[in-house]
Amino acid sequence: MPTNSTTSAAWRRAEARLVAWFAAQERRPAAFQRAAWRAWAEGRNGLVHAPTGTGKTLAAAGGPLIDAVLRPQTGLQLLWITPLRSLATDTTQHLTAAVEAMELPWRVLRRTGDSGSSERAKLRRGACELLVTTPESLALLLSYPDARERFAHLRGIVIDEWHELIGNKRGTLLQLGLARLRHWLPALRSWGLSATLGNLDEALHALAGDGVLIGGSSRKKTYIDTALPEGGERFPWAGHLGLSQLPRVLGAVLAAKTSLVFANTRSQAELWHEALASVWPEPLETLALHHGSIDPKLRFATEEALRRGTLRCVVATSSLDLGVDFSSVEQVLQVGSPKSIARLLQRAGRSGHQPGMPSRILCVPTHLLELAEIAAARRALAEDHLEPRHPMRGCLDVLAQHLLTMALGGGFTADEAYAEITSSFAYAKFPRERFDAVLAYLRTGGTALASYPEYRKLVETDGRYHVESGRIARMHRLSIGTITSDGSLQVRYMKGARLGTVEESFLSRLRPGDRFLFAGRNLELVRIRDMTAYVRAAPNRRGGVPRWMGGRLPLSGELSDELRRTLAEGAPHSAEMRTLAPLLAIQRRRSAVPAVDETLCERTRTREGDYLFLFPFAGRLAHEGLAALLAYRLARLHPGDYGYAVNDYGLALTAARMPTLDAEAVRQLLHPARLRTDILASVNLTELARRQFREIARVAGLVFNGYPAAGKTLRQLQVSSGLLFDVLRRHDPTHPLLWQAEREVLDQQLDYTRLRACLLRVARSHLLWREPKRLSPFAFPLWVERLRGGIATDDWKSRVERMRATLEADADT
Amino acid sequence: MMTLDIVVAGERLTLHAQRAVYWAAARTLLVSDVHFGKGAVFRRAGIAVPSGDTDDDLARLDALIHEFAPERLVVLGDLVHGAATERSAWVDRVRAWRRFHADIDVLLIAGNHDRHFDVRSLGIDVVPDRLDVAPFVFSHHPHPHTTGYTLAGHVHPGVVIRDGWRRHRLPAFVFDRDVGMLPAFGTLTGLYEVTAAPGRQIVAATPAGLVPDIR
Repeated sequence: MPTNSTTSAAWRRAEARLVAWFAAQERRPAAFQRAAWRAWAEGRNGLVHAPTGTGKTLAAAGGPLIDAVLRPQTGLQLLWITPLRSLATDTTQHLTAAVEAMELPWRVLRRTGDSGSSERAKLRRGACELLVTTPESLALLLSYPDARERFAHLRGIVIDEWHELIGNKRGTLLQLGLARLRHWLPALRSWGLSATLGNLDEALHALAGDGVLIGGSSRKKTYIDTALPEGGERFPWAGHLGLSQLPRVLGAVLAAKTSLVFANTRSQAELWHEALASVWPEPLETLALHHGSIDPKLRFATEEALRRGTLRCVVATSSLDLGVDFSSVEQVLQVGSPKSIARLLQRAGRSGHQPGMPSRILCVPTHLLELAEIAAARRALAEDHLEPRHPMRGCLDVLAQHLLTMALGGGFTADEAYAEITSSFAYAKFPRERFDAVLAYLRTGGTALASYPEYRKLVETDGRYHVESGRIARMHRLSIGTITSDGSLQVRYMKGARLGTVEESFLSRLRPGDRFLFAGRNLELVRIRDMTAYVRAAPNRRGGVPRWMGGRLPLSGELSDELRRTLAEGAPHSAEMRTLAPLLAIQRRRSAVPAVDETLCERTRTREGDYLFLFPFAGRLAHEGLAALLAYRLARLHPGDYGYAVNDYGLALTAARMPTLDAEAVRQLLHPARLRTDILASVNLTELARRQFREIARVAGLVFNGYPAAGKTLRQLQVSSGLLFDVLRRHDPTHPLLWQAEREVLDQQLDYTRLRACLLRVARSHLLWREPKRLSPFAFPLWVERLRGGIATDDWKSRVERMRATLEADADT
Repeated sequence: MMTLDIVVAGERLTLHAQRAVYWAAARTLLVSDVHFGKGAVFRRAGIAVPSGDTDDDLARLDALIHEFAPERLVVLGDLVHGAATERSAWVDRVRAWRRFHADIDVLLIAGNHDRHFDVRSLGIDVVPDRLDVAPFVFSHHPHPHTTGYTLAGHVHPGVVIRDGWRRHRLPAFVFDRDVGMLPAFGTLTGLYEVTAAPGRQIVAATPAGLVPDIR
């Protein structure tokens, strides 16, 4: 594709048209925007990183628009990928305005999972030049036989909010889609837009291979304030709801025109919304709730109201972290620790959208030690220490899904496909044997060791792979994507209005007539039928709040490191640490506050039990692996049934009879040698992998989520992923998807990399051994935490005996 | 404890951890919801399930027949999961299994899934709706009957049991006042969670034995 010289008169004239549009809105293009336009004209790829609301969209759109003025063409010219459907609407409007300003005859279209059939039909006829869509919809487009023709005129692709996609499987799927497009169109330009990340080079590399990194205007100032408990006020040592802060939060919310209150989990958001509603002095319509399980229609209504400025307060989760600008938002509150510096920055950025205005966020700690996290976050931000988000590598399930898409979208030969997928960052250096194993899974069902008669997902003719069965094609297109919604039920009123989705595990424990809180409403369960829970409004709540899986994120590595430094140094200049000082004094008196090169270990015998506490400050996931490792190694030396609890600061180990231990013994138990072997033996890996398999099975097309609309024929095909996992383990133990599950348990559930780094650090550090008479302030939250897991002799026989014994004991009392 | 004797409608029934009931007085072995050929239905639809479920289920049936030496095997519905062609491999295996046990009667109370496939071609007798063998009524659907105590399948009952910090989901036998429900026998079958209620007896089945008296 020819490039345009940015010094040519024609290019300058076209650019002037864009600049004039900026001027008409009393703005001027920023230097980074012009830099991006020029880079586009030179045919380069790139990544633009800047905070939200600083003009990233026009930085990326300007280049292709100028290009289109110079070389007008019809047919799809530019693809714009956005991670959220709700963002697609806004982006489409924004881009349409720019297209009109450039007087281009472009048709701008939006295609997402909830596009109407007329939009889809228009799209099928190729009737647009600019298409705004999601990664999943792109994958779907690639699955049609005429995919290559549809994209024949494509000049560029822009990935919006790349930081939201890079670290997960949606990002992997997108990388594969990009590899497909680049294979067809070698001159295609790929651009990404991202918030600031700790690993921008890698982010650029994963998206575009080579390219330019363009930084936005210097960062907006961000102020972090803290809702501090007042002198003499009793503030909890543990907990995560923080409702004792309600009066302070209400006061802050009423002092501003519009506020966003961020909570860390959906349950926490529900409960805070309920609490605020109970004391809300204004009409209740001005208070809203927004989280990912609430029906898109209701969420959209809330977003609309925010845009119009009719809301005073929205309680939200990360569902509102992204994109859309709400200029009415004056203030952002964060309940509980944000757990990551990048997230805090992003949430703070939701306020003060007017250019030049600083961002402000009010942190509301839910227990005392969170004050230290807030102080640490402020320090890290001052030093620009942001978390990296690493792309996932070599996921077999996503590859399986993509290969089927390729087979539907024109077919492939094994060598072609291998060359294409290994051109992506996510599968660079991907071993050929593993690729062949995934291909074999699609062709025969599994490995050569097991028999899969009747199974013909992919069919090979003369070396080319394609799909024969129309039914398999249809099912694949219905289940494209990687977002798991497995195991959740629709919640709707008897009259039909949808409220959202709740996990089956919660609903299955309810009986008709039971009440619960969801979507900010008190509901009564009427009946469950066809994957739908029918409810009616209830006058009050007696029951619980649903819990959703994967609610709690671990404290990030960067924030953990900063937290250890902050605690060790005391940071006397921060108000948070001054408030925390009395607690740290108690900690010092009863035990110790570890220095940066120390690891604290406490041995405490109380009436409630006999405990070993360890405080590596490495995040809850790594602590969970560490606790399992400790319990396993301890049980080998001193047989017994050890239970453990973890939080972001440390772990607790307990047993009916704890062996005598000292610093040297613990040092031995924490030795980094043989870590992998021991961790594999220690945690109940099968159990964890079985849970992890749920998502993998869905992504790889091994289970099919019957849609209510899809009718009975598909319902016959429902099987639980757990059952499949068991069958595969028994009959085809080397199946590639089982391998993937085990790997994800290590990488994601146990955070193996961090666990190992943590062990190495502990091995180098000085082990502070303390035997407090009473629980220390650090230990208290762990003691409150429920036991998360344990190590015991674990076969079905002993389980049955244990269960029987428990039931008998219950019967006797 | 692989078996547990309980008294239902005045008769002694032996519950077996392999998800079967033996009624010694009538020398009758009862199982329900076997779902033969379920794996094949999945595979044809492009869902990779290794074949082996049918062999597993037949081997478990062999073991039960060997242990109890029944005169009659009654399947309380859903013997077969879906339509099959005559060429399906599992059909041959089931037919061969039936020939091997030619000396016992095998009777199917037809369930909702059984309309897809005529099991008479396998040498198995079919009763369309219910069979009265006093004091019991064998049926697929767990409806109460005036003529006797209903023993049924269809539901795939299961329970959740807490075990320290863990929770196990287990198939279960459920006996109410007028109706008793067997757990699904087939390997590739799901569970429907039931909960304790007054007058209800629940016995969970694990690979290593039965867990009685769940409240």
